[in-house]
Amino acid sequence: MRITSAEHLTQLQKEYQKEAAKFPRKILVCLGPGCLAAGSDRIYDAFLNHIAQRNIKGITVEAVKKTGCHGLCTQGPLVTIEPDGLFYTRIQAKGVPEIIEKTLEKNEVITKLLYSTPGKSQKIEKWADIPFYSHQMRIGLRNVGQIDPENIKDYVAVGGYQALAKALTMTPEQVISEVKTSGLRGRGGAGFPTGKKWETCRKVDSDIRYVICNGDEGDPGAFMDRCIMEGDPHSVLEGMIICAHAVGSISGYIYVREEYPLAILNLQKAIEAAREFGLLGKNILGSGLNFDIKISRGGGAFVCGESSALMRSVAGEVGEPRAKYIRSVIKGLHDKPTVLNNVESFATVPVIINEGGKKFASIGTPRSTGTKAFSLAGKINNTGLIEVPMGISLREIIFDIGGGIPDGRKFKAVQTGGPSGGCLPESKLDLPVDFDSLTEAGSMMGSGGMIIMDDRTCMVDVAKYFLGFLVEESCGKCVPCREGLYQLHALCVRITEGKGEPGDLELMEKLSKYIQLGSLCGLGQSGPNPFMSTLEHFREEYEAHINHKKCPAGVCRALIKYEIIDACTGCLACIPVCPVGAITGEKKKKHFINQAICDQCGSCYAVCQFDAIEVK
Amino acid sequence: MVTITINGKAVQANEGEMLLAAIRRQGIDTPALCHHDAIEPCGSCRLCMVEITKKEWEGWTRSVTSCLYPVEPGLIVSTHTPQLLELRKTILELYLARSSQSEVIQKMAEDYGITHSSFPVIPDGDDCIMCYACTRICEELGCFAISAVDRGHDKKVSGPLRQPPPDCIGCLSCAHICPTGFIKWQDLDSTRTIWERQFELLSCRTCGKRTITRDFAEYLMKKRNLPAAYFELCDDCKRTETAKTMGKIVVAAQEVLK
Amino acid sequence: MMHDLSKIEEIIDRSPKEPGALIAVLQDIQREFHYLPCEALTATSRALGVPLSKVFSVSTFYNAFSLTPRGEKIIRICQGTACHIKGAKLVQEQIESNLGIKAGETTKDMKYTIEVVNCVGACAMAPVIIVNNKYHGKVRCDQTRKLLGIK
Repeated sequence: MRITSAEHLTQLQKEYQKEAAKFPRKILVCLGPGCLAAGSDRIYDAFLNHIAQRNIKGITVEAVKKTGCHGLCTQGPLVTIEPDGLFYTRIQAKGVPEIIEKTLEKNEVITKLLYSTPGKSQKIEKWADIPFYSHQMRIGLRNVGQIDPENIKDYVAVGGYQALAKALTMTPEQVISEVKTSGLRGRGGAGFPTGKKWETCRKVDSDIRYVICNGDEGDPGAFMDRCIMEGDPHSVLEGMIICAHAVGSISGYIYVREEYPLAILNLQKAIEAAREFGLLGKNILGSGLNFDIKISRGGGAFVCGESSALMRSVAGEVGEPRAKYIRSVIKGLHDKPTVLNNVESFATVPVIINEGGKKFASIGTPRSTGTKAFSLAGKINNTGLIEVPMGISLREIIFDIGGGIPDGRKFKAVQTGGPSGGCLPESKLDLPVDFDSLTEAGSMMGSGGMIIMDDRTCMVDVAKYFLGFLVEESCGKCVPCREGLYQLHALCVRITEGKGEPGDLELMEKLSKYIQLGSLCGLGQSGPNPFMSTLEHFREEYEAHINHKKCPAGVCRALIKYEIIDACTGCLACIPVCPVGAITGEKKKKHFINQAICDQCGSCYAVCQFDAIEVK
Repeated sequence: MVTITINGKAVQANEGEMLLAAIRRQGIDTPALCHHDAIEPCGSCRLCMVEITKKEWEGWTRSVTSCLYPVEPGLIVSTHTPQLLELRKTILELYLARSSQSEVIQKMAEDYGITHSSFPVIPDGDDCIMCYACTRICEELGCFAISAVDRGHDKKVSGPLRQPPPDCIGCLSCAHICPTGFIKWQDLDSTRTIWERQFELLSCRTCGKRTITRDFAEYLMKKRNLPAAYFELCDDCKRTETAKTMGKIVVAAQEVLK
Repeated sequence: MMHDLSKIEEIIDRSPKEPGALIAVLQDIQREFHYLPCEALTATSRALGVPLSKVFSVSTFYNAFSLTPRGEKIIRICQGTACHIKGAKLVQEQIESNLGIKAGETTKDMKYTIEVVNCVGACAMAPVIIVNNKYHGKVRCDQTRKLLGIK
């Protein structure tokens, strides 16, 4: 079926809303990456099977919906019952019949499945009342976790493609002006003003212009874009089509990493559905606009997040960046003017068009407007996906929304901006989260991954980890990055092995400076950041490694040893996990680690349930 | 022609040409290892970086690779600021750690006062500095025999499937353009060996001297539309033949003029 | 090793015959065979008109491609930041020790391959391993044998 006009779209929206109203209660099963890893696909199947078997009045299988990420991944698998807003956590497939029986048939709340704030016993029934959610404001993620991403009707019913219809009544210049008014800055991390980018592209004299959506999300520890592509693919398409109208493009690409198979699948389905509905292809919504989108699967190279490398990859070549003395917005894919925006930026555009740029600009801070999605991971209670107004403090994100640090440990650092970003210590927690403040503090916004670290995380090890990542991911084209990061990493490894020498840090600082100055693309230019920021804030930890041959966090193997203390119950659990067979012991008797064999891998420490193994 | 300033001196340069050319024309020694006039610049060695600014930039400066940055009117260029010198030194130390045996690198480093690298020497390092000159010239010739494979620190130049390159014509362009002399080749009797492949060398009909490989001759015949006879003589004998012909023409002309 | 060459032809046939399709074709071949056989590289080079050296450059540049055959079960260990600080290295060592091979290698009986990936975006469940596309979250090092299906 083709939608031929804006009126036709509105008429369909009403129709789909009416259809949905036939099911007064909806069971939303989260199939986001976290819940899926916890087995939520089986929960979904269980709901379908049990509901199909039992004949419950007013509840049919159509009322069960699979959604994208609902956000509070750590509590997964998650099920929400709407419109009640009832929120069940950590559900098992065998618990599904009980939910159907008690909650759906008898309207009883099952208390044991409710959420309670870490450390508190009070149960919270509705998800909107949980602090994790109540401090958030969702724009880019507005539909993620709320609708079935595979069903275009769900998207249309919640007002999807209305922004496109509205944009098509505006001139391209008006659309650009609205985006400029909104103050939207690129959500991929660099923070370039989106409206300005579109305007430049439109003004370049060219027969062809391209629109590319960057879904490469290569930062380890970031999964916002994945959740949007999986959970609300149509919002990305809508943003891209609006952009195509604004800049005058007929051809677009979404570059998605191959590691995100479900994102690729859901985008593919969304593109096909949009084509069928006449929202992609020729004469979109009867407006005369022609535009279509192809998916380009990334081959797994972090450097392809860099625009010139990404465009070479889309063209089927090796993803090596080029010196960008002519910007890609002027000379990009196939040397044609190209708008490249990230997933979240495109998903935000429809809201800006619908609600107006001014309203969006009123949220956040004057120079970083609107909201930003973040993924919280690492040593934090509420790992998950969030969206908050810009300018909120790191403390609010980590403690109010994230629920603080688990196991009673102490907060040590938060890593933002992925491998190009940095680690910020406790003293920076009241920093407002916006593009400029984070950069000033030596980190960066990046695409929105936040990894929280506790006092058992070694910052030298963290720097070594990121540098190792970058050495692997450097394309190898220019010397400062290829050889410089290699040497920087080697020096870091040397320090963690207890072989650091006085003067190493100064040498590393000097090398870092010239890697930043001399590298060809952003990967190298920002490559030393993980080292520089950890050195700035945790210099004493580096010095402990070098001067005292100690790893204060108890992580670096060469500098620690494990010992079994009297708390050992003799449960035998640690013995089989020791890869080198260093542990001996009998049941119910204290075990023993042979230090001559032990290679300090820490497997025993990780499995011990009785805190009977100590790091020294 | 536009006016730009290089190290405080106003000079003329062609708009659109790369800064490096304009700088070198002034006799200013700006080092570069990956640059060669026969191939497109790629900006991998980073030695030719310079600092640029403009009057209207209000003191803001930018470091760019001069081999890739096109001349614009009003550019103010500095080629030897203390920061750039330190950058070049650091890069040369990194090269020295990788290619410690390369005489070219050693000499260049010495010019910058460096005798040894502050960084640990890479045990399996070699004289290849991954400047892509060989792969670029090979592409330019349209042969695409060799390419850069793998990535990051492991990147190296190789034939496809890590085998001797089937599309190689033994022209030696790669070996001649290599700035460090890493690409080795050998001519022995009528056989040339390069990239672990052997090629038949043609000989001059007159003097018997070895000329070029048969594969290269065939490539030129096709590409330049040359007759097979063109490759029968070596360059010296071709010149001698030409001289003889010219001599005959001169004699004939004198005869006519008499 | 012999391959069903018709499968390679089939994949190439349904793709546009242009250099821009190179990565997509290689991905499809990788998906089919779990690696890129030599024959596939030469056939792709011919069909798309891309020099073999370039095809080889691309297939060695991207992580997604492997030039050696993979085992029946592919174990992908996430080494994203969240997984790293939650002990993914231990899980990796445990699996390496269980199977007697290192990451990137395949057991002699062609049953298992270990791959390391840079974040699969399931950070909430860190550390994560994926066995033949099935995700396992919050993996402890005493669970690896069970997840691999070995005693």
